[in-house]
Amino acid sequence: MKRAFAVEHLSIAFQDKNEPLQTVVSDVSFSIGLGKGKSEIVGVVGESGSGKSMTALAAMGLLKDNARVLQGAIWLEEQNLLSLNAKELSRVQGSEMSMIFQEPMTSLNPLMRIGEQVGESLFLHPGHGAKLSKKEIRRQVLKALEEVGLENAERVYRQFPHELSGGQRQRVMIAQAMINQPKLLIADEPTTALDVMVQEQILELLRRLHREKGVSILFISHDLAVIEKICSRVLVMYQGQIVEEGAVSQVLHHPKHEYTRTLVERFPRFIAPPRSKQNVLTLRDVSVFYRERKAERSGAQRREIVHHANLEIREGEILGLVGESGSGKSTLAKAIVGLNPQYEGEILMQPDLQPQMVFQDPFGSLNPAHTIGWILSEPLRIIGIKSAKERKERVLQMLENMGLSKDFYNRYARELSGGQRQRVSIGAALLRDSKLLVADEPVSALDVTVQSQILQLLLEVHRQNGLSILFISHDLNLVRHICHRVAVMYQGEIVEIGDAQEIYRSPKHPYTRRLLQVENMNL
Amino acid sequence: MRVKRSDIVQNKYLLIGGILTGLFILVALLGQIWTPYSVTQMDPLSTNLAPCLAHPMGTDNFGRDVLSRVMNGCGTTLWVALATVLIGGIVGTVIGALTGYFGGWLDTVLMRICDIILSFPSVLLALLFISLLGTGTDNMILALGILFIPSFARIVRGEVMRCLELDFVRSAKVMGVRPLRLIFVHILPNTLVSLLTTAAIAFNNAVLAEASMSYLGLGLQPPLPSLGRMLSEAQGYLLTAPWYAIAPGVVIVLIILGFSMLSEGLRNWRP
Repeated sequence: MKRAFAVEHLSIAFQDKNEPLQTVVSDVSFSIGLGKGKSEIVGVVGESGSGKSMTALAAMGLLKDNARVLQGAIWLEEQNLLSLNAKELSRVQGSEMSMIFQEPMTSLNPLMRIGEQVGESLFLHPGHGAKLSKKEIRRQVLKALEEVGLENAERVYRQFPHELSGGQRQRVMIAQAMINQPKLLIADEPTTALDVMVQEQILELLRRLHREKGVSILFISHDLAVIEKICSRVLVMYQGQIVEEGAVSQVLHHPKHEYTRTLVERFPRFIAPPRSKQNVLTLRDVSVFYRERKAERSGAQRREIVHHANLEIREGEILGLVGESGSGKSTLAKAIVGLNPQYEGEILMQPDLQPQMVFQDPFGSLNPAHTIGWILSEPLRIIGIKSAKERKERVLQMLENMGLSKDFYNRYARELSGGQRQRVSIGAALLRDSKLLVADEPVSALDVTVQSQILQLLLEVHRQNGLSILFISHDLNLVRHICHRVAVMYQGEIVEIGDAQEIYRSPKHPYTRRLLQVENMNL
Repeated sequence: MRVKRSDIVQNKYLLIGGILTGLFILVALLGQIWTPYSVTQMDPLSTNLAPCLAHPMGTDNFGRDVLSRVMNGCGTTLWVALATVLIGGIVGTVIGALTGYFGGWLDTVLMRICDIILSFPSVLLALLFISLLGTGTDNMILALGILFIPSFARIVRGEVMRCLELDFVRSAKVMGVRPLRLIFVHILPNTLVSLLTTAAIAFNNAVLAEASMSYLGLGLQPPLPSLGRMLSEAQGYLLTAPWYAIAPGVVIVLIILGFSMLSEGLRNWRP
């Protein structure tokens, strides 16, 4: 008995009316072990159009009408899925394999309660025995919802999809897919539409299901970082073919095929370690005050916002500063970059540190009256580069480094998207020769997909220039992802500081624990 | 700042105001180098003529061609208005920018002075200035210019204070841009639209003020024409030669209309 899901010499082509046959998958073969002791998580990586989803869709019988299987077979243990008729295939799908999709928003029926949707497959495919009673179905659905980490399963059972967050919906989809205890789960970009921190939670859930239920997972993604976290093996697809396959660590760290190499280079998967233990910035007992503009004139009362903060940032370190709004993190940041001189205590920095700031709102941070070229030239004028030609050359180079085309030189900020503006802000800070970037919620105002692009740019910049970053965010999960160390602020005090993973695993201060809890509840 | 043609056409105020103002400037300039008749030459044989082919706007009580005098008077009006707005605008902008940026006692003192100036009717203050300085065009320009300073200073001060709260200014500060460069190169270009609007309104007031001062005989001295002076001279002939008053009056109305529409258009024009 073959205990595997095996694709053999599969070729798929599209044929549109009056157009030549277009092969999208050609001669693809691979297998995934199933069942106890053999189950595994296998990643398929490739850009869109590489044919990575097509194979999965063929196995599920979900190919579009204009797609045709030219040759090959897809085996689920003893059965060739391609030879089954619709009814037989539907039986297999319900009970032995299932699929989750990228978009949790559209993959659930908006008019059905969660409980009904998850239970539907139990109702249609009563699994391996007799028909189940309504009560039994309900019991199993609730259990499934609990197993995917949804708190208050009873309530979720009665809710409609629009009442749930993206992360919760993705959990519901997984519950739905797992309810019949399938041997194989096909996950097509299951985390792409989610934001970074929810992504992590969903990955953790899939890993747990794999460990506890022994389900094998075919994990399709374009994101190497995600693949690396969850898969043991990976297949790299390019133009309809598998160009490389092997253990994840092998493929990602020593890629053989040229395409894999470019893919790997494009993703800054790891955060470069701090350059040294030397501090570039030290705060000793710093209290920061806030004065009303009116009070400034009369010299009257000032309010203490930050109380006796002690902090140091090392060379090449990414330090996260977390806290809810009003906790004083931005006030502290302003004192560091020199925007708020109202502080007591010592702020010691390396003489050439030049801390620069990247602001939250990309729409306010660039001067609307000047071109991008002018804005980026300003730091060069300040550091005393007299030659206009040299300034322009360096600005054009920086545009390219920031992933912007040269046309942007003559554009105005209003012609740029939020993400593009943040790129310009980061570029300006680098041109100022900054060794410390103070990024105050730099991605909070951006779309999810743009967020991860900007984070990647920051990590890339960090790796290449070795600068230190003070990353301010209200979001502990996001910070944990990209920071070496984390400082937690609460009501103007730094209540906890330490290694990022450590704080996440065993938070010491009650506020940190609460922060983590709140974030998990939002999923 | 790039101006698209479609923007201007869409903004009718800007278009019509622009055309009227352009016409005014053109006529004013033309009036300095060429007029159909001499501006000052009197002709006792043809006094108070009604509009005819030879004199489209008629003649005045001294037989001078009204059209020629209006054309030349436009020049005076333009010069006075331009000069007063420039004085008020430049000094006011600098004061507003500095007080808005630095705040402190300087701000308090200068703004209180502005309040005092603003609390009097401007013509009254102008009269006071001129009675101190003496009559004449230059003195009138100086007096009106000083009177315009507070309105510019207030607008610019407010705009600068608004910009100080914006991230791009913070970002420039952090970058190490010095205060004066920050004020004049980073912040002021962003106040341009408000400044232009204020300038257009001030221009209007200047035209009116010049007319009223000349009407009172405190501005331009005869025999040179200005629109206000002509109105004042025409007073005695309103019943016998109404065209004498109508011609400069209509021109003043058109100029004011042009500037009002221009400023309205500018206010809605967010490039």
